[in-house]
Amino acid sequence: MVIANENIVADLSENNVEISTTFSGAKILLFGAYDGKKDDDIIVIVSGPKGQVKVEKKSKKYGIWMISDSIIFNNVPKYYYIASNRKIINITNKKEIIKKGFDLNTLKLGNTEKKISLPEREIWRKALTRNMISQKFWKLDESSILLNKNTLFRKTLSLPSNVSTGLFNVIIMHYRKGLLISREESSIKISKSGISASIYNIAQEYSALYGIIAVVLAVFIGWFANMIFRRI
Amino acid sequence: MYIYLPIAEQPIHALVVLGIGWLIGVIMGMVGIGGGFLLTPLMIFFGIPSPVAVASVANQIVAPSVSGVLSHWKSGNVDIKMGIILLLGGVLGSSIGVLIFNVLNNIGQLDLVIKFSYFLFLSAIGTLMFIESLRLIIRVRKGKVTRGKLHQHNWLHGLPFKTRFRKSKLYISVLLPLLIGVIVGILAALMGIGGGFIIVPAMIYLLGMPTSLVVGTSLFQIIFVASNTTILQASQNQTVDIVLAFLLLLGSVIGVQFGSRFSNLMKGEHLRFFLSIIILLVGFKLFSDLITIPKDIFSIIVLK
Repeated sequence: MVIANENIVADLSENNVEISTTFSGAKILLFGAYDGKKDDDIIVIVSGPKGQVKVEKKSKKYGIWMISDSIIFNNVPKYYYIASNRKIINITNKKEIIKKGFDLNTLKLGNTEKKISLPEREIWRKALTRNMISQKFWKLDESSILLNKNTLFRKTLSLPSNVSTGLFNVIIMHYRKGLLISREESSIKISKSGISASIYNIAQEYSALYGIIAVVLAVFIGWFANMIFRRI
Repeated sequence: MYIYLPIAEQPIHALVVLGIGWLIGVIMGMVGIGGGFLLTPLMIFFGIPSPVAVASVANQIVAPSVSGVLSHWKSGNVDIKMGIILLLGGVLGSSIGVLIFNVLNNIGQLDLVIKFSYFLFLSAIGTLMFIESLRLIIRVRKGKVTRGKLHQHNWLHGLPFKTRFRKSKLYISVLLPLLIGVIVGILAALMGIGGGFIIVPAMIYLLGMPTSLVVGTSLFQIIFVASNTTILQASQNQTVDIVLAFLLLLGSVIGVQFGSRFSNLMKGEHLRFFLSIIILLVGFKLFSDLITIPKDIFSIIVLK
């Protein structure tokens, strides 16, 4: 395969992920080719839809740990994943790392609902990052992309089972001596499907009806069980 | 086999949930009280968010209650008049409960209140059951089995609006069962329970109802209270996970049948003794979670 103009080409094994009744996370293969030289690097970012994230702080009152304060951050990516073929700090400089969003601690987020001072924001921000990582919403996955003969790359993206729905952007970047020389974008659409989606929609839109159905179903099964077991 | 829960928005092992439902059903069938108060904390341990656990368990309680009432009905063990007054109070109470639930959810302390009230109730019920069953075991060993009075008269019997409950052979104030109904209703909405473990002792010790009528009548009113809670939770908070409730109730309606057959194999007081230990352990675990320093004092909620 010959690729001219140092262009990178990439594709995903799937562009649509459906959250159905049997969904427990998804694996998507990202693969492609680049016109590389020795010691070139590949960095991939997958970022999900943005939204509000509430950070809650607990403190001890009357001997019990209870929520004492909370801050809502706007424009937080609900999913953010960074992958590379080696330590990003060895690929490019600090400035580029922050600018391109290769560091989870310095990702650009929106302002907070409640006005807070900068040092205070830093504390809440750190708590947010730590928790987004521990709940698998955000992930830094360095040295995980496989490169082959400076031409081919491949990486399996694992979407966790708690993934949110929406459009996920996939950006693939080719670095040479710390400089970006080529990039390619793709996207994955994640949506609820089948019974799972219908149930969710009915629960949201026809919530009273949904409650009645839930009760009728329970009454019916209770009656039915009584009928069957009376005969045994 | 994993099944994705559409409202809790997470996958859960279907067989595990069915198994838990079954086990709770067995306990219900053996001991005669609903397993809601054990089921909700169990669901919370499994990582289901507390509001979803409470609302879905309220939904599941309906099924074994219907199933149970039908068998008690056939044997004539339901006091309808008493049941209707209890359920009027219960429906009122569960509506108040859902309102309180809403307010707590908005100020962000719902989780704490649910866990704390569970701790209080589990330790109170667990301790009472532990003492009562231990006493009976000791007494039976010594060979003395004495029967108490049918019921005792106290100030509660002096309340106004007295009416006659023919089936239960009682002449008491309407306010009494109404008030019990309201309290149970509030707890049902807040904690995702049918309230059997509160209403059964209340009917025996406060109202002085004959024991044979107690379980059927309490199940009768639980059906309505739990149904009301389910519909209100679904319409106001969208927290009823029908898939979770379905798996649980499928397990529990089967379990109840096994339980009522197993109950001949073991003495009631031994059974209650074991159950009281389980209840105390669950209560202790909830309490230790509240007082031990959390791994991270910060936590996050991804909003819609």
